[in-house]
Amino acid sequence: MRLLNRVLVVLAATLMIGCDEKLSDLTGPTPNLEPTFSSIQHDIFETSDSSGRTPCVQCHTAVGRVPSGGLNLTAGNSYAALVNVASLLKPSATRVVPGNPEGSYLIQKLEGAAGIAGRRMPFNGPPYLTDGQILVIKRWIEIGAPNN
Amino acid sequence: MRLMRVLLACTMLLAAWPCTGSAQTKPAAPAPADDPDKDPNASQPDFTLIGLPTTLRLPRFSSAFRVTHRFLRPLGAGDFGDLTSDFFGLDSGAQIGLEYRFGLMRGLQVGIHRTSNKTIEFFGQYSLLQQKEHGFGLDVLAAIDGTNNFKDSYTPSLGVVVSRELGSHGAVYLEPIWVNNSNPLPSEVVDDNDTFVIGVGARLRIRPTVYVVGEILPRVGYDPGVNHASFGIEKRAGGHVFQLNFSNGFGTTMGQLARGGTNSDDWYMGFNISRKFFR
Repeated sequence: MRLLNRVLVVLAATLMIGCDEKLSDLTGPTPNLEPTFSSIQHDIFETSDSSGRTPCVQCHTAVGRVPSGGLNLTAGNSYAALVNVASLLKPSATRVVPGNPEGSYLIQKLEGAAGIAGRRMPFNGPPYLTDGQILVIKRWIEIGAPNN
Repeated sequence: MRLMRVLLACTMLLAAWPCTGSAQTKPAAPAPADDPDKDPNASQPDFTLIGLPTTLRLPRFSSAFRVTHRFLRPLGAGDFGDLTSDFFGLDSGAQIGLEYRFGLMRGLQVGIHRTSNKTIEFFGQYSLLQQKEHGFGLDVLAAIDGTNNFKDSYTPSLGVVVSRELGSHGAVYLEPIWVNNSNPLPSEVVDDNDTFVIGVGARLRIRPTVYVVGEILPRVGYDPGVNHASFGIEKRAGGHVFQLNFSNGFGTTMGQLARGGTNSDDWYMGFNISRKFFR
C-alpha cells in the first residue's frame, strides 16, 4: 500500500508538471492567435499587432477599391476566397490546399517563397508575420482548413 | 506561477518517499555494515548503459558522479584523413553533461543531470523487485527535464526498467518509458506532444573488467529524427567506469533521448566516465 501511495504521488506530480508550452509564447505579437479560421481572420487578416504589421484587409478589401490580387479577406468573404481557390496572379497555385500547408500559396506568399508572383506579404513589410504566426496558420491548414 | 508549480511538484517528488510510512515515525537507522547494495555487481557495473538507466542499486546515503561527453563532429564527415586531423572530433565542440546521484534510502536514488545546452534533469528511481528474489529486476523511474536552466520547456518522464542479469556475463534491459511534452512546440500546433519509447539495451562482459554495451530506443508519438541508438566499450577500474561510445545523437537526458538522434547516417563519438563514492 505504501508502495502504491508512492507511485501515485510520483504519477500525480509528473502529470501536474506536464507543462505544455504556451501558444502565446510562440505567436508573439498576436498572443491570442489560435489555429482556427476565426482567430486567423481576426488577429491576422483584420488587425495589426504590436510589431506594427499592416493588417491584410488594408488592401484585400472590396470597400472603396478592387481587392488586391482579386483576394477579398474581409470577414464573411475570406474563407470562400481562400480554400481550394486558385490564385488570380498565379493560376497554377491554390491559395489554401486543406491538409497541405507547404503547397498552399497563402503560406508561400507569407514566407516569400521562390516562385511567387509579386511580393512577399504583407505588401509593405517588414515587419512580416513571425515564424510562430505562420506556424499557426500552417497548423490550421494542416488540420484541414476548417471554417471554424 | 508555472515555476512555482514545477518547484512544488519537484519537492513532492523528492519528498514523497522519505515522508511516508515508518520513515516518518522512526529515526533513520544507519545503513547496515553488510549492505548488499555495496557489493560489486559484475553484471551491472554502472547505473547507466550509455544513456539508459540500469537497475543497479545505489546504497543508502552513498552517491555517484558521471560525466557524459558527446563530440559534435559526425564521424562520417570528410575522409579518414580529415577525421584523424580533427582527432575523431576532439577538436570540435561537444555536448557535455555532469550528473550526481544520491541514495536516499535503500532502493531509492535521486539525481540531477545538467547538459551544456542548459538542460537540467531531475530524476528518481526506485527498485521495486530484485532478481535474486523474482528472477528479474524492476525499477520505476520518474524524471523531468527543463531547458534554459529549468526555466522554459519541461519534459516529465515516467517508466520502468526491467533487467535480467545473465549470471556474471552482463545483463539485458527493457525500458518502456512515457515522455510527456517531448515536442518543444505548443500542443495546439502539433500532432504529437508525447513520446513513448521502449528502450532496449544490453551490457555484455567480455573480459573480467571489460564490457560492450548497446542500446536503442524505438518510439511512437512525437518522433523527429531517427531512433536514438548507441554502442560502446567500457572498462571498470575499481569504482570508476570508463566508456567510449558511438551514438547517432547527443541525447543523455530522457527528453533528449526521446527526441532521437540527428540522422541515421551521422554517428558521433563520445565517452562516459562514472565514479561511485562507496566501497
